[in-house]
Amino acid sequence: MSSCGNWFLKSLFDVLILPCGRSHISPVPFSLDQAAPPRTERMAVDQDWSSVYPTAASFKPASVPLPIRMGYPVKRGVPPSKEGNLELIKIPNFLHLTPPAIKKHCAALKDFCTEWPSALDSDEKCEQHFPIEVETVDYVSSGTSIRNPKARVVTLRVKLSNLNLDDHAKKKLIKLVGERYCQETDVLTITTDRCPLRRQNYDYGMHLLTVLYHESWKTEKWESEKSEEDMEEYIWENSQSQKNALDTLLRIKASENVSNVTKEELLASEVVKNYRNSVIALKNEGETESNISQYKESVKKLLNIQA
Amino acid sequence: MGAPRSPPRRRALPPWRGRTCGPRSRFSFRAAGRAGAEPRWRRAGCGGGSVRSSTLMGARLAGSHVETQEPKTNPLVSVSDEPETLYKRLSILVKGHDKAVLDSYEYFAVLAAKELGISVEKVDKPPKTIERFTLLKSVHIYKKHRVQYEMRTHYMCLELKYLTSSTAAVYLEYVQRNLPEGVAMEVKKTKIEKIPEHIQKPVWDTLPQVEETEVKS
Repeated sequence: MSSCGNWFLKSLFDVLILPCGRSHISPVPFSLDQAAPPRTERMAVDQDWSSVYPTAASFKPASVPLPIRMGYPVKRGVPPSKEGNLELIKIPNFLHLTPPAIKKHCAALKDFCTEWPSALDSDEKCEQHFPIEVETVDYVSSGTSIRNPKARVVTLRVKLSNLNLDDHAKKKLIKLVGERYCQETDVLTITTDRCPLRRQNYDYGMHLLTVLYHESWKTEKWESEKSEEDMEEYIWENSQSQKNALDTLLRIKASENVSNVTKEELLASEVVKNYRNSVIALKNEGETESNISQYKESVKKLLNIQA
Repeated sequence: MGAPRSPPRRRALPPWRGRTCGPRSRFSFRAAGRAGAEPRWRRAGCGGGSVRSSTLMGARLAGSHVETQEPKTNPLVSVSDEPETLYKRLSILVKGHDKAVLDSYEYFAVLAAKELGISVEKVDKPPKTIERFTLLKSVHIYKKHRVQYEMRTHYMCLELKYLTSSTAAVYLEYVQRNLPEGVAMEVKKTKIEKIPEHIQKPVWDTLPQVEETEVKS
């Protein structure tokens, strides 16, 4: 082969190779006309949406076939469209939690649930069989720490009528707990938060309840010194009211010169019993229309006044 | 047949990592009015199993009477003997800065509760609170020029009634995993319990009488 023939072939090849040799220069800049069409155009109307968004994901305009617009419109314009819209990406979306997806999840989770016992269908029955209520609070929030110091607080609530207490024990317990007892609802509330862990606070709360219960059944020697000011409710026997009534009646009988009637007979009489009931009602329940009228009637009968 | 193997110990995962085998306790409450309280022998999953389950399996394979109405057991479900704790009320308070997000979350939570068979007592929407503060606009001086910021917190309270501990665990995990970004939740659980043994009767009756010793002064 002659050298001039070689040169001719080489120049031919050189001409052919040149258009493909762009690798040493920067690549062709990407332009959207060359990009593939968005996935939305290939989506069927009855597709399974939970496979497009199976988990929480940010908004992808090419995957969501909805003409959503969001943002503040420019003057005499419309809100910006979904392509490249940061507002749509910022906001949390619920595209992974459509009703069919929720139903699917719940159907899978249903096996792990247990039924509530059918016998406990009302609050009263729950109260009757399970008197103690323990209240705890859990906190979920985003932050650097998942712990919340308020989560260790435990509140115990129990109705005193469900505990095995006699009269003296109940009164002593109410005096021991003070403000933690509510008169109207008969509920004792114990709130514990002195321990660092919830389990410890719960144990401490149960320990407090046990100690209160047992201490209230004890009778100390100094409890016999309980005076009238310490009494929770008004007791008519051995009170000033009883003494006054008996005194008055005895004097009335003495002035009428009736044979000596004993105190026991007077106490057992109907008028004195009426008077006793009306005074007790007034003192314990407060002054109401019916109470005051009942007191008036009983006094009239006692002193034999016909008004 | 070899010696019965104890059931394989499940790895203890932290609560936010979720569980592959959700425990499902059998509730052993006996009440006066409850009829048909025989325990349901759900077969323990995770292979191996204790003696009881292997004999049951043997019984099934031998062709003895099998309950035909027994539904297909989920291999992930494991039943344990401990009695369930009962929750009288579950109060979920959700707080967020965006009302639309909370509305969507409410729809999701209510639908999830209905699908799982949990009774929703009520859905309350307390009014929003706005925390405002006024700061100086400039770094140095210019006291008359201020800038004001505010933080709006919207609330949504969901109250559920009568849940067992398994159901509550399942529902709460599902609902908490799907909590949106920037939304906080507080769950108030009210558990009901029987009066424990040591509070049934005062202990002084059972203790032996201790003679009071005179303090010699």
